[in-house]
Amino acid sequence: MADKTPSLYDLKKTTFWFAISGITLLIGLVVMVFQDSAREWKHWQAKFVEYSREKAESELQAAEKSLDEKKLEELKQSLAQVKETALARRQEMEAIQKELDPLQLEITKTKTRHQDLKQFHDSDRYFFEEYSEKGEAHKAADYRKKLSEREPEILSLKTALENQEALRDEKEIALKQWTEKEKEIEQEIKKLTRDVTGLETKVEKLKPNLAKEILNAPMLDFMNPTLRIQQIVVENLRDDYYFAKVEKVDRCVTCHLGIDQKGFEDAPQPFKTHSRLELFLSSASPHPAEEFGCTTCHGGSGHSVDFVTAAHTPRSEDQAREWKKKYHWHPMKHWSEKMLPLNYVEASCAKCHTGVVEVPQAPKLNEGRNLAQTFGCFGCHKVEGFGNRWKVGPELTHVQSKLESDWITRWLENPKDFRASTKMPRIFHLSNTSDPESVDKNNATIAGIAAYLMKNSDPVALESPKAAGDAKEGERLVKETGCLGCHTVGSLAANDHGPELTNLGSKVKADWLYTWIKNPKHYAPETRMPSLRLTDEEASHITTYLLSQRNEKFESKKPPLVKTEAVDEISLTFMTSKLRFQEAKAELEKMSPEARLEYVGQQAINQQGCFGCHAIKGFENAKPIGTELTEEGSKEIDRLDFGFVDIERTRQAWFSQKLKEPRIFDHGKVKAYHEKLRMPQFDFTDEQVDSLVTFLLSLQKSEIPLEMKKSLTIKENQIEAGRLLVSKLNCQGCHTLDGKEGSVRSIIEDKGNAPPILNGEGKKVEEVWLYHFLENPTPIRPWLQYRMPSFAFHEKELSAFVQYFNHLAGVEPSYKGKGIPPSTLEEVEAGHKLFQAFQCIKCHKSNPEPGLSASFLAPDLVMAKDRLRPEWIIDWLKDPQEVEPGTMMPTFFAEGKSPVTDMLEGDAAKQIKAMRDYLMVFTPEEAARITGEAKPSK
Amino acid sequence: MIEAFKEAVNAVSSPVTIFTGSIFFFALLVLFPKQMTSSRMSAVLVVLGMGFFLVGLTDEHFRTIVKTPDNVPIVGMLFIFIYFTWFALKKGIANDELIAAGKPTKEKEEAEEKVMVFPYLIYIEFVTALFYAIVLVLWSIFLKAPLEDPANPTISPNPSKAPWYFLGLQEMLVYFDPWIAGVLLPTFIVLGLCAIPYIDNDPKTSGFYCYKQRRLPIAFFLFGIWILWFQLILMGTFLRGPNWNFFGPFEVWDVHKVVPLLNVNLSEFIFIKWLGQGLPREWYLREAPGIFLTAVYFLVPPAILAGTVFKKLYEKIGAVRYSIFIMLLLTMLALPIKMYLRWAFNLKYIVAIPEFFFNI
Repeated sequence: MADKTPSLYDLKKTTFWFAISGITLLIGLVVMVFQDSAREWKHWQAKFVEYSREKAESELQAAEKSLDEKKLEELKQSLAQVKETALARRQEMEAIQKELDPLQLEITKTKTRHQDLKQFHDSDRYFFEEYSEKGEAHKAADYRKKLSEREPEILSLKTALENQEALRDEKEIALKQWTEKEKEIEQEIKKLTRDVTGLETKVEKLKPNLAKEILNAPMLDFMNPTLRIQQIVVENLRDDYYFAKVEKVDRCVTCHLGIDQKGFEDAPQPFKTHSRLELFLSSASPHPAEEFGCTTCHGGSGHSVDFVTAAHTPRSEDQAREWKKKYHWHPMKHWSEKMLPLNYVEASCAKCHTGVVEVPQAPKLNEGRNLAQTFGCFGCHKVEGFGNRWKVGPELTHVQSKLESDWITRWLENPKDFRASTKMPRIFHLSNTSDPESVDKNNATIAGIAAYLMKNSDPVALESPKAAGDAKEGERLVKETGCLGCHTVGSLAANDHGPELTNLGSKVKADWLYTWIKNPKHYAPETRMPSLRLTDEEASHITTYLLSQRNEKFESKKPPLVKTEAVDEISLTFMTSKLRFQEAKAELEKMSPEARLEYVGQQAINQQGCFGCHAIKGFENAKPIGTELTEEGSKEIDRLDFGFVDIERTRQAWFSQKLKEPRIFDHGKVKAYHEKLRMPQFDFTDEQVDSLVTFLLSLQKSEIPLEMKKSLTIKENQIEAGRLLVSKLNCQGCHTLDGKEGSVRSIIEDKGNAPPILNGEGKKVEEVWLYHFLENPTPIRPWLQYRMPSFAFHEKELSAFVQYFNHLAGVEPSYKGKGIPPSTLEEVEAGHKLFQAFQCIKCHKSNPEPGLSASFLAPDLVMAKDRLRPEWIIDWLKDPQEVEPGTMMPTFFAEGKSPVTDMLEGDAAKQIKAMRDYLMVFTPEEAARITGEAKPSK
Repeated sequence: MIEAFKEAVNAVSSPVTIFTGSIFFFALLVLFPKQMTSSRMSAVLVVLGMGFFLVGLTDEHFRTIVKTPDNVPIVGMLFIFIYFTWFALKKGIANDELIAAGKPTKEKEEAEEKVMVFPYLIYIEFVTALFYAIVLVLWSIFLKAPLEDPANPTISPNPSKAPWYFLGLQEMLVYFDPWIAGVLLPTFIVLGLCAIPYIDNDPKTSGFYCYKQRRLPIAFFLFGIWILWFQLILMGTFLRGPNWNFFGPFEVWDVHKVVPLLNVNLSEFIFIKWLGQGLPREWYLREAPGIFLTAVYFLVPPAILAGTVFKKLYEKIGAVRYSIFIMLLLTMLALPIKMYLRWAFNLKYIVAIPEFFFNI
């Protein structure tokens, strides 16, 4: 280069900057590579390997300790001995080995030659056949010759081979006998030390070493890294990304490495074993991990491998703080389907377990569902799938025959003033309607509703008690006839299915109460309360007792002041939604004060949705006023109005807040009276709120394909239909049934006086009998004070119950009827004699004397032929304790042997059958005869 | 104290003030370029600008908006463009002084010498490329791609903003009919830019930076690109929030903010407010005043200007090129004029013909 070339600028400077930029870029790239490969999940996997190794090491130590050292020593010694003897024999072994090798060579040669010849043979045969077919006799003859020459050769080779192989086998057996013993002992040693060696290899495998470091190094980890992302791909379950439905890919197991293995229950998170492995994750469980993944139940972002981006949700403020500190956690932005906090995880069960009354193994969710039903949520809020529910409040279609207008106003002001345990929520004077103007409007509305109800209900004919009743007798009847199966009375609180029986003297008159308890359906045709078939005296006693309790404080409450301006204002507000102001005013002028009040009441009922819980005349077809909650668990957060309340922007926070204080989202807002939030205040406890939030979160918009859903068979559907009826009518308030104990049993000391246990009832009783019994209950156990009520079921309900009991007991529909061949006279006589021998009539009396302890009384066996299933009687007699543990029925045939040896050859089975056959013809006359025969022995 | 400053800035901020302020600043720049680009002034402006920026960064909301990976390039664009405008003007002023002194321009001087492409071009390009790569690497490490939720067709983001290169047009939509702001004006912009070399084809001032001789074209171009393009992009990025409401630099973007918009058409002004009559039924009667005004605006000023301010220009480039030029210029100026009419009188449309979906 000529040194005269003009320069534009100093190249040295440029070179300097070149160096700087080059080095910086290199450093930057190296940093980039390392930063890219430094992933959170690798850290956790490495930690898990370390943890597993430590665990394996401690297990190894334990195994070594438990190793039977003495036995091992013995074995080792005998091995040494055998080895010595083998050493002595070494020369012999070597000689045999020397013979074996050339023999093996010969065998190989022979075999090869044999196989080659076979090939030639096949080929020659083919050509022979072909040429024969073609008619070229000359060529065919050639091949024929070749074939015939070859055959003997092949045969001779075969025999030679067999001989050689036989010889070789001989020699090998000879050799083996020396090595066999050695091998045996070695196997024994291996067996003894198997655990230890297994653990040793495990520990070895988990040790870090250079090869692993290289395989996991940045840029080299594409080949075969030991730290790699683990994922479960679930084809059938898909994530909805609005424009595509994508297979679920759950990478949770990248960090949660011990989750499906037993043995990590005490490990720190994220390695901890999943709770209840037999129910979740293991391949034998109903929810194996490969088929369900993780995010189906827990939510969150399955394909993230970061703690924060996986959208983990802390279950409490404390945990949130801990995570912020330890893991720099913050709520995941831009991912609306965050993980469910663990305390709400049961909400996901309902996605697949649809169509059931109670979701198995999900107590919190079921509690939430029950609460939603009990407190009447479905009366205002439509939820698909819960449309087959019933109105929870009493019918008000005839309320003028029951209540006074004053009582209604005092009640509406605050129901809990009358009865603290009421399920009716507070509707007026809540946090957003407590300012003076709203209070006036509230009072006017309350008066209006009372006026409307009194005017718009049909009167019902009431009966008066014929004679005065005895309160003490009434109290006894209430506590012993069966009212406790649904009602709480005083301190006896086994059930709260119906309202607590207290303070009724301040509410209703004797006429009404008397008429009601004698026949509830007379006043309220749709009521769930059954009739207890009370006699006039019983009803009279009970009426007197119940009316003796009063609530003085409630009675002395002054009805609120109703301002006419408020009534007019409310009326105008409603009218001006349809008419112009002047027209509305004109309409109003035409109305009398009572008419205005009634109008206000009607509009208020329409506005507040009272008809959701109570049947009210004029509102038979009114639409529920609440938001539809069918997909509330999937609602976008932006659609929830948080108002000015400073809570976390999550669904669960909003739901909890709403349930605790429904009107709080109105605070700070300027709203007209009728635009304010309307949800009433239920005063839920924190646990109830938790369960209800679980329920709300379970109402999700998820499309689980049918093959992944828990679809119910017809039988299971019928069981669920029965369960719905059972929950509606509170059968389990008295009876132990379907896995739940009868609630009243806890307050009855002598369980013989308790309502019967109905487990296995389907196997026990005849269907037709059951049908008619439920239709019209008759006493089976006359000593029981508790009465089976008359529910006045429809045919559909009765059939549903029979199917329910049958399916619960696993009884298949059968058309064979009784299916017993008719008995001979001798058989009947034998049965009769056995009946006397076992003294059945002693307990199974037809007319028991009063005063006998219930434990020694049993149903009248005259009913047996219509009531009991013949097969069941056999099982019962064989072993009553197996059929109904704890029964007072004696076990006559312990261990299959009969105590009566002189009848029917002492054969227990024959005797049982004879007695069963006798029962099938056990008429009342027979019963009388047996009783008469039994009398002398008493 | 910083809080008071922020409150003051928020209170003063509005589209009117920002637009007017920027026009004022632009006027200063164009009329006194030497003073504005002098080192002292540049230093003052840089300090003020950076000061505002740094003070602003102390505010959480300002920081969130400015640090969004989407918006960082816009901030960068702002600094880059300021630099290039300053650079061009400075070079132009320097050359003007050389020309005034009779010396050859800097470019001419430099054109005399020749140097080797390698290393003087290639080497420095290479080093620049390396630094560029470093910037990109650092950018990719520290600014993550701004991915949001999976696209949900039932939820539109609020605010729904166009990409940055269309934010100027989106801002125009506030003042103009979508046909005008979305079709007509962009077409004129594109065609106008294409037409510039044919209108302004004087070779005398090509090949070197200069200012005095090209003051008019430079002024018009800077007006167009700074006031009507960049400024609106900056406003659209940083100062427009949910529901396209205006928010000051330190104001929280509140989705619930409700600001009344009551705008009146010219025809309503004239017929209802001034004359007290009702609107005429036929659209050509109703919009006659507006149509007349628009016609006057486009026909009268060209003739007047051709005789006075643009006389020399008219003679130089001829009638055809002049008419194209004046049409483009008037259209460009129509934007700020309409904006001021809107701010001053709540004027909605000068010509409003909803029957044909045509409004100006």
